[in-house]
Amino acid sequence: MSESALLAAEGLHVAYGDAPALWDVSLTIAAGETVAVIGPNGAGKTTLVNALARLLAIRRGRLRFDGDDVTAATAQDMCQRGVALVPEGRRLFVGMTVEENLEIGCYRPAARRRRAQNLERVYDMFPILRQRRRQISGTMSGGQQQMVAIGRALMAEPRLLLIDEPSLGLAPAIVEQVFTVIQDIHAQGVAVLLIEQNVAKALEIADRAYVLEGGRIVGAGLPRDLLAQPHIRSAYLGEDGAER
Amino acid sequence: MPSATLLGQSILSGLFIGGLYALMGLGLSLAWGYLKLINLAHLAFAFLAAYVTYQFVGYAGLSPPVALLIVVPAFFLLGVALQALYTRFAVGEFASLLVTFGIAVIVESLIQYFWTADFRKLQIEHGTASLRIGTLFVPVIEALMLLVAAALSLATWAWLRFTYLGKAMRASAENPEIAAAFGIDPRRLALLMSGIGTAYAGVAGVFIALTSTLFPAQIFAWVGVVFAVVILGGLGNPLGVLAAGLAIGVSESVTMAVTEPTWAPLVAFTLLILVLILRPGRI
Repeated sequence: MSESALLAAEGLHVAYGDAPALWDVSLTIAAGETVAVIGPNGAGKTTLVNALARLLAIRRGRLRFDGDDVTAATAQDMCQRGVALVPEGRRLFVGMTVEENLEIGCYRPAARRRRAQNLERVYDMFPILRQRRRQISGTMSGGQQQMVAIGRALMAEPRLLLIDEPSLGLAPAIVEQVFTVIQDIHAQGVAVLLIEQNVAKALEIADRAYVLEGGRIVGAGLPRDLLAQPHIRSAYLGEDGAER
Repeated sequence: MPSATLLGQSILSGLFIGGLYALMGLGLSLAWGYLKLINLAHLAFAFLAAYVTYQFVGYAGLSPPVALLIVVPAFFLLGVALQALYTRFAVGEFASLLVTFGIAVIVESLIQYFWTADFRKLQIEHGTASLRIGTLFVPVIEALMLLVAAALSLATWAWLRFTYLGKAMRASAENPEIAAAFGIDPRRLALLMSGIGTAYAGVAGVFIALTSTLFPAQIFAWVGVVFAVVILGGLGNPLGVLAAGLAIGVSESVTMAVTEPTWAPLVAFTLLILVLILRPGRI
């Protein structure tokens, strides 16, 4: 799978100053595949996403995208290659309007040409954003801001979408909507890396999943195989493994 | 109480001096708002441009528009070069106070070395030409200066609001990391913004040379009122700077007419203190 993978990380080490955050992390994402990374708080999930988006330095290991070595690439370079980020906590440009946030999404020249049709696509996906397009994004509710964050990333026409904790702090109805949208994105052929605390939901829509604990990958496989493991069930689904 | 004509004339001259305040504040406000640099050297650059214009027009025999065409690109490059240095040495908001104060002192010394501390006044043809509208005199160069200040403020505002580059500038000022993840290069935009701001100091300098008597100590005499304009106008807000410049210019000038000229400097700071008390979120 490694040769045909869209993204392949081999033995990544990432640290904040002297404090290591990821050890020897290897994972692959094939084109069009939805991959979930699950793990407890502080396991390094967000660190992993930020390292893959090249916002954090990689100390050791190798990162390939579409066959090219991008271990030393910049965040801008990753964007030009077709990686888009829905960051944890949304991190919108809160002083700018909804539509301006979306337009920043299509800043990269390749996506800028289809600005109008991509805006339509995002507005069809989230009709509320069409009504609120002139609103300053920082004044919106958390759910609406999450829609802007997803829309902003889609405007970049990504081949790989990195989504970090999309359901964090959102009402259940909004969470449903967000997951439906992620499935739609997947159906359009975009590869998705999904970081999610809602493990049941994440494993429901993922093709494969990795388990990240204490900065290391401790498990990987198909969702149904992971769900069959008592450790996963008790640690992440709050179920007593013995019951089944 | 002064006559209607005197009052009208003071409002007019207030608008003109306010235009110059705005012209000087514009680059400062942009650097503070978008680059997080408090550029104390900005006014020193404006006066450097004024002396250079004085030299070009008074001695080299160039016309003021030609001087403008040389000064603006040269100061743009100066701004780009300085920003590259600030980035290289990771100069932050508070360090920038110290660094740019040092640069201001150096520029003042250079001016003193080349042009001495004597008063200099450019004499040009039609330099004092004015139109008469009703009972009011409108000096042409001052009116042009106000027009240029308004045009640059409006153009900068439109650039920040309606173009990809302008929006990218606002985005990278707010969150450089996420902006980078969307393909924006905050460093290159910072170079551009610093170039634009310093070029505006150049424009201001040309008009200072055409309208004022030059002497090096003036650099620091203007700091107070221009900072008041920038803070009153809102950091990084070109239209705000224009409005604040005109408001302070007119209030000063009317104060001079109604009371005595010595009261004028009080006006800018009274306005500033009032705004900071009533709207403390401005800075």
